[in-house]
Amino acid sequence: MTSEVGRGTTPADAPEIGQRRSVARLWPAIPAALVLGVLFLGSMAFMVVFSFWRTDADFHLVPDWNVDNYVKFFTVPTYLRTFGKTLVMAAAVTVAALATALPFTYFLVRYVSRRWQRIVLLAVIVPFWTSYLLRVYAWQAILGERGVINQLLMGLGIIDAPTRLFTYNDLSVFIVLVYVSFPFAALALYATLERFDFGQLRAAQDLGARPDQALRHILLPQIRPGIITACIFVFVPIIGEFLTPVVVGGTQGVLIGNLVINFFRGAQIAQGAAFAIVIAAFVTLLLIVFRRHLQVEDVVARG
Amino acid sequence: MDHLSKHFSRRRFLQTTAGVTGAMAMGGFASASRVMAQSPMAGPTGTFNFMTWSDHFYQEQLDAITAAIDITPSISELAGNAEGFIRLGEVGGQLDMISGDALWVPRYFEDGLIDAWDINELEVSKGLYSLAREFDIWTTPAGYLGYPFGWSPVQIYYDPAHVSPAPDSWEVLLDPKYAGRVMVENQPEEVPAYMGKLAGVADPYNMTTEELAQAKELMIRLKPNVLRLAQQNTDVVNALTNGEVWLATGNLGYDERVREAGGPEIKVFTPKEGTIGWMDAEMIVTGGANSALVRPWLEMAQTPEHIAENFLRYGRPLFNEAAYKVLVNNGHQERADRFLYNKPETVQTMTLKGPGTSTQAAIEAFNEVFGA
Repeated sequence: MTSEVGRGTTPADAPEIGQRRSVARLWPAIPAALVLGVLFLGSMAFMVVFSFWRTDADFHLVPDWNVDNYVKFFTVPTYLRTFGKTLVMAAAVTVAALATALPFTYFLVRYVSRRWQRIVLLAVIVPFWTSYLLRVYAWQAILGERGVINQLLMGLGIIDAPTRLFTYNDLSVFIVLVYVSFPFAALALYATLERFDFGQLRAAQDLGARPDQALRHILLPQIRPGIITACIFVFVPIIGEFLTPVVVGGTQGVLIGNLVINFFRGAQIAQGAAFAIVIAAFVTLLLIVFRRHLQVEDVVARG
Repeated sequence: MDHLSKHFSRRRFLQTTAGVTGAMAMGGFASASRVMAQSPMAGPTGTFNFMTWSDHFYQEQLDAITAAIDITPSISELAGNAEGFIRLGEVGGQLDMISGDALWVPRYFEDGLIDAWDINELEVSKGLYSLAREFDIWTTPAGYLGYPFGWSPVQIYYDPAHVSPAPDSWEVLLDPKYAGRVMVENQPEEVPAYMGKLAGVADPYNMTTEELAQAKELMIRLKPNVLRLAQQNTDVVNALTNGEVWLATGNLGYDERVREAGGPEIKVFTPKEGTIGWMDAEMIVTGGANSALVRPWLEMAQTPEHIAENFLRYGRPLFNEAAYKVLVNNGHQERADRFLYNKPETVQTMTLKGPGTSTQAAIEAFNEVFGA
């Protein structure tokens, strides 16, 4: 085998050419680096700066450096309470999405033919073809006072009058968020389970393991990257969720994103920026913890 | 060799992809900056950028104007006055026209964001109520600050089948027997303002700390009654129509829209403590890249026929008197009069929406109440 370096070059040239090749290899990454650098890191940098400024009575950002916006977040009970509630909601939805997606994908990969797997996966993805807003609004027609569930319960004679149990509260936000998160969890888990050798489960049972032991000790450790990916895909977006609480949550289902958007709509950019940075910092911290304690590098290493 | 060619191919692929991505990005910028074409025979044609509320136009109107003079607004939704003010400050001349309410309009001008101009240049302006051409707050030595469009007080709608006795005060929104049966629009500046009205505050956009505390106390009492905060006026109309809520705040005309949607008979009143209200205008942005298209478009968009149709669709009064005559001639006088179309002087009785010294504190109070 001939190498490119070996063609017409001396060994002394090799490191320089190797360096040039490394640089040359990098340039296809420039568009992505620009997008990330300018659109993400650049805008985040602006937000960080603004968060330490203040908005004056004329709605202008004033470079009057202070930490008041952050102090407000951590000293006003409503903001802490709403943030705490958002974290609990995100955790509950993540657990529920995993609990529904894992058996589903397990069944799909293990017992369904490849052809049908593709069809079922397509069905899982189909909701993405409609807008997020439409999907959430559709749930109003299901959970609402005159929605399908109430009609069904009244038709069966279980209730006499429509109940608001299913809408404009935390339960309705939870249900809809589980629905919208399910495909993310299912796809992440499917990608991992698809590569799992189910013969290992049979081997474990042949060696005396109970089915639950085989699942816990053989399956779960090997699909951990998929589980963690699913957790990240579901948990992180919910922390900034705004639309679902607005449409089905009512005044009881408010999450922290709803309060942040009020600041931006009211031209209180500095205050809104500080809140957004607190949330972003928390998510970053969470990902670091994930990486340290749950060995998230597996996600990268094993895809 | 096979390995090398594969490696080479992959690299070439990545390089090509990067090149294509760059070219697409350049193309995107180029097409974004290609904003208008000049017609060789008539006036200017093309597209201009207009940030406005969804009830300032209807699709058939836009289509008709495009067909007639080949000018089309590229419309972006305006969520609120403060957001529009900030957005325009950021993008400047990338927008060509923007809508704004009452006291926000002079604020735009003070910040150098909009032009003052002579609205009498437009033939259609002759159809405006004379009052609308002479609002002090929109008059400057350099000209008028916007083309007057519509107005409305914020009123309270209620379903008499569930709400009795007939209310006459903001206080009804706080009555515990209507828990979960009230809808207010998600307007962090306005809700504290009308709670301020209930508290007897004279200037609810410039509240003192004590006054704001009173308004906040009232919002705390209001919260258990509010089913949800509406994002747009159609949310309110739908909720009144399907009976989800029995009380709601909103502009003139919701009762008619609920009736047309097949809902119950809805009654409306202006609270005895007084109310807030808005009157809006279309403002021409300073340095707008396509501002030459704005006046010809307004000349077509503000014709009495289009404005009369707008009224029939959206229900609140407009400043176009010629359109009122069209409505009368077409048998809609009762409806127009019921919605005060013939009484534009009513705007002088409302506390007009505007930027105030207590806006930031009001938003914080709203968030603290409506957070978890």
